[in-house]
Amino acid sequence: MTFFGVILGLGLGTLLAIGDLYGGRVLSIIIKFYVEFFRGSPLIIQLFIFYYSIPNLLGILIDNHTVGLIVFTLNSAAYQKGYIKGAMESVFEDQMTAALSLGLSKAQSIRHVVLPQAMRVVIPAWSNEFASMAKSTAALLVIAVPELTSNLKAIASWTWRVLETYSFGALIYLIWISVVMKILDIIYNKVKIPEIEITA
Amino acid sequence: MADTVLECRNLWKIYGKITAVKDVSLEVKEGDIKLVFGPSGSGKSTLARCLAMLTTPTKGEVILTGENLTRSGVDLNKARARIGFVFQHIWLFHHLTALGNVELGLRQVLKLPKEEARERALQALREVKMEGWAEHYPAQMSGGQQQRVGIARALAMNPEIIILDEPTSSLDPELTGEVVDTLRDLAQKGTTMLVISHEMTFAREVADEMIFIDEGAIIERGPPELFFTNPTSERARRFMARLIKRTRRE
Repeated sequence: MTFFGVILGLGLGTLLAIGDLYGGRVLSIIIKFYVEFFRGSPLIIQLFIFYYSIPNLLGILIDNHTVGLIVFTLNSAAYQKGYIKGAMESVFEDQMTAALSLGLSKAQSIRHVVLPQAMRVVIPAWSNEFASMAKSTAALLVIAVPELTSNLKAIASWTWRVLETYSFGALIYLIWISVVMKILDIIYNKVKIPEIEITA
Repeated sequence: MADTVLECRNLWKIYGKITAVKDVSLEVKEGDIKLVFGPSGSGKSTLARCLAMLTTPTKGEVILTGENLTRSGVDLNKARARIGFVFQHIWLFHHLTALGNVELGLRQVLKLPKEEARERALQALREVKMEGWAEHYPAQMSGGQQQRVGIARALAMNPEIIILDEPTSSLDPELTGEVVDTLRDLAQKGTTMLVISHEMTFAREVADEMIFIDEGAIIERGPPELFFTNPTSERARRFMARLIKRTRRE
C-alpha cells in the first residue's frame, strides 16, 4: 500500500508540479486548493470522507483497499508536488532557455532537461515521504484495511502479550523503512551527477 | 551578392518603463561576421535574445531567410533550431556529458538515429578540440572547455547562423584565449556569426562590420578600421579608448 501510494503519488505529484509551474493561473489555484486540503487535514479524516461520505453521496460502493490506495496516492501526491516543484525551480530557468535555444519544445525541455535534474534533487525528500507514508498506513485501521498495525492489534488482544507484539511490530516498521531508505540512498549515489553536491 | 540570413527591422523591446532595445535594424548576410559591442546594460544581450526569438520583441520584425518569425503562427521551435546560440554563462546541461549535451538537439529536434547523432556530435566536438572530453560532465571541465562544448552544441545543429552572447566574458582571462581560437577557426570556415564581444583583437581580425550599441540603440556602425582609427561619435570614441587601454594592459 505504501509502495504503490508513493509511486502513484510521484506520478501525480509530478503532473501537479508541471501544471502548477506551466499551466496558467486557474490550474494553479485549483492545484493549490487540492494540496491545501490534503496537507491541511488529518489522514484519518480523509480516509473517513473517502470511505463513508463520498460513496454515500454518489451512491456507489468502493471497497476499503481501493479507498486506502486512492487516499494514500492523493495525499502523497499533495506532498510530493511540493518537493518536485521546489526541485524544478532549483533547476534554473537557464537550463530551460538553453534547451529552447536548440529548438526543443517546452514539453521536450521539461522531459529531457528539467525533470531529469529535478528528480535527482528530489530523492532525499522522497525517502522522508516514504518513511512518513509507511508509518501512516497504521491509520488504515479505521477503515478496516488489514495492515501491519491492525494485525498486531488482533494478535495482541488474542495473546495478551501486548508489549512483545507491539515492540515486534515497531521493529518490522523500522526494518522496512530502513531498507527502503538504504535503497534510495544507493539510487541517489548512483544517479548523482559527478562533482556536483546536490542540496535540496 | 550573398543572401541575407538573419535580419531585424525596427526592433523594440520594452520591459515596463525600461527600453532595452530601441529601434534596431540590422542584416546579417551569409558568411558575414558582425560584432556587436557597447557598455554593459546597453541592451546587447536582449537584442541577441530577440534575434534568436528566445525573447519576444515588443515591436518590429525578425526575419530568418525570408521567413518572418514575429508573425503569429510561426513554429518558433523549428526556427530556433536553425539559429545557434551560445550563452554568456554557458548553460550546459549539468546532467549530461559533453557528448550528451551536443547529442540532445540532434536526437530530439533533428530526430537523427542514434549512431548518426553520435557521429555528428563527435565531429562537432572535434571542431572545438574537445573530442577527448566527450564522456566528461560539465562540472569536471574548466570554464573555457565548457564554453567550447557550448559552441559545439550550437554548431552540431548545423545552424544558418550562430549568435554568441559574450562567449568569453564569464571566463577567467587566461581561459578566454582558447575560446577566441575556436571562434577564429569558425570564422575561417566562413560560419555566419553575430558575436557580442569586447575582444578587440578578434574583432579587428575577423569582423566584417562592427556595431556599437548604447542605451538600446545603434550609435555607430562600420568596418573595424573606422572604430580603431577614427570613430565619428563621441560615445564610441570614448568607449573604444577605454577598451583599447584595457586590452593593452592585459
